[in-house]
Amino acid sequence: MSGKLTRQFLIYGAVCLCILLVPVVVDDAFLLNKYARYLVFGMLAIALSLSWGYAGILNLGQATTFGIGSYCMAMFLKLKTVPVHTGSEGLPDFMVWNNVTELPWIWVPFQSTTFSLLAGILLPALFAALLGWFIFGGRIAGVYAAIITLAVMVVANLIIIDQQSYTGGFNGITDLAEFSFLGIDFDAYSASTYYLVAASLTVTLFLALAVSRSKTGLILQAVRDQEERVRFFGYDVALYKTFVFALSAGIAGLAGMLYTIVMEFASPTFLGVPLSLSIVIWVAVGGRQSLIGAMLGAILVTGVQGALSESEAFLETWTLIMGGLFVLIVLLMPKGLAGAIEALVRRLPQAGNGRSARHTEPDHRPETHPNLGGTQ
Amino acid sequence: MTGNREQLLALRQATVSFQGFVAVDRLDFSVAAGELRCLIGPNGAGKSTTLDLICGKSRITSGEIIFRGEPIHTYREFRMARTGIGRKFQVPSVFRELTVMENLEIGCSREPGVWHNLFRFSGGADTERLERLALLVGLQDELSTQAAHLSHGQTQWLEIALILAQDPALILMDEPTAGMTAHETNMTAELFNRLRGQHTLIVVEHDMGFVRDIAETISVMHQGRLLAQGTADEISEDPGVREAYLGSGGIGHA
Repeated sequence: MSGKLTRQFLIYGAVCLCILLVPVVVDDAFLLNKYARYLVFGMLAIALSLSWGYAGILNLGQATTFGIGSYCMAMFLKLKTVPVHTGSEGLPDFMVWNNVTELPWIWVPFQSTTFSLLAGILLPALFAALLGWFIFGGRIAGVYAAIITLAVMVVANLIIIDQQSYTGGFNGITDLAEFSFLGIDFDAYSASTYYLVAASLTVTLFLALAVSRSKTGLILQAVRDQEERVRFFGYDVALYKTFVFALSAGIAGLAGMLYTIVMEFASPTFLGVPLSLSIVIWVAVGGRQSLIGAMLGAILVTGVQGALSESEAFLETWTLIMGGLFVLIVLLMPKGLAGAIEALVRRLPQAGNGRSARHTEPDHRPETHPNLGGTQ
Repeated sequence: MTGNREQLLALRQATVSFQGFVAVDRLDFSVAAGELRCLIGPNGAGKSTTLDLICGKSRITSGEIIFRGEPIHTYREFRMARTGIGRKFQVPSVFRELTVMENLEIGCSREPGVWHNLFRFSGGADTERLERLALLVGLQDELSTQAAHLSHGQTQWLEIALILAQDPALILMDEPTAGMTAHETNMTAELFNRLRGQHTLIVVEHDMGFVRDIAETISVMHQGRLLAQGTADEISEDPGVREAYLGSGGIGHA
């Protein structure tokens, strides 16, 4: 293992440890709920960093798959509630209001815990795989692919609002049961839910790191640079892009499920343009070619956003301040905060040894293999 | 001189037209295994287009392309590449954001599957072979340099090394010495002479000095068709070739 890889593992591990230790210091259930929400956004940023930062696929509809995951969890938890008016055998309240007489077929499988949890990840992944197969198989790239992802999200959003009797329409799905799994109850305002989100985030981050470090991750970066060149080496570029698109969607789906647990409802706004564009901003600020940068970017931006919008002094100007910060960062640091820090770190040892450090490099080659994923 | 060698590639009546403009016109062209063939011709003769057809970048409108006895012209690009065809582009195209070593790892594409490569990490069994390739093209000291920081000549060599990492039976080189200094061109000629026999090469080139240094057989294309074929001396005395090059100052200045 090269020194750079070890350092990267240490940084990632340390950040995750800090995140996992927050409930030791913070005892306020309301704050923990808020932080858990930020972590979910961090997970969404990892998902976008994989597709946009590594493979160059700008997904302006990341919230689509986030929303699908969120609704899967909401449907599952809704069926666990005991309806107030009709008793335990009755249908979910909004269906009664809409004169639905029996449980719609798409709701039936969500009575199963296993199905629901798998569906929250696999349905978004499958959805993205089909969409990706259409986009990338048809050689649609760049801004056109981005527009399709955006358009698909708007359509999905409209369908959910329109199909009120099956989806709760504009109001979304509210009044959910508490998520409980393997005998643990996950109250939205508790350390257990925070740990659930933080642990999921840690696993996701290291999984994404492994993918980015694999040869598949390297090939995706090559596709970002020179798609044609990769194709003529015999790689099925469309398949690679579809894979990362679906993987990213699966992560977003998991984030969506967790978001429903944290927020205690699902709403069509989860598949909204504002959220999707926010994800792009977080990732751009944090550094799209760095998984941990994108994740911290999301936590940082939403954290500052939360603090500003809640403080009286900035009540009316906070959106302006956020916009200004975003413009500054994008203009001054094209690779985001992570890129700027990376450049700074790279300059530090060279200041000491001058160019000699570079010239001795080949001598070390046998034990330090030139490593993958140099964009970190 | 190719009679006793096994035929590797054959274009039969290959034709391609772009909105009515016939770039390659009923071309019959074949290359034997192990051959180093130079493809020359005036501008617009259809040389690059011919390479595009062989690797799948452009599609023939009629005719057929046989590679190792298999009609490959219906295959998608990545499948054509997997049958053993490597292409070096005219404008050097490498992965500028990746290091030289990472570039070489991409070139090494014997196992092209997503799933397989998900469980492969750097520093694997190929490292030694890739380091030897870097040495062959003189990039052994640049393994961890980002490709964007290489000189133009080095970038050309890197792409050649990528193709060698791919290790295809047939290598298509489109103007490999374009933009190189005289010294770099000489080194490239030396490299090609070393590749002779291990790989089959088709080289499109304008630099006649370079062509004379490396070629055994030269094929001359003109207006999408094969005009002449033979050794360098036979070609330069061919009246048809002289006529085709008339006005462009003769073959030496093509």
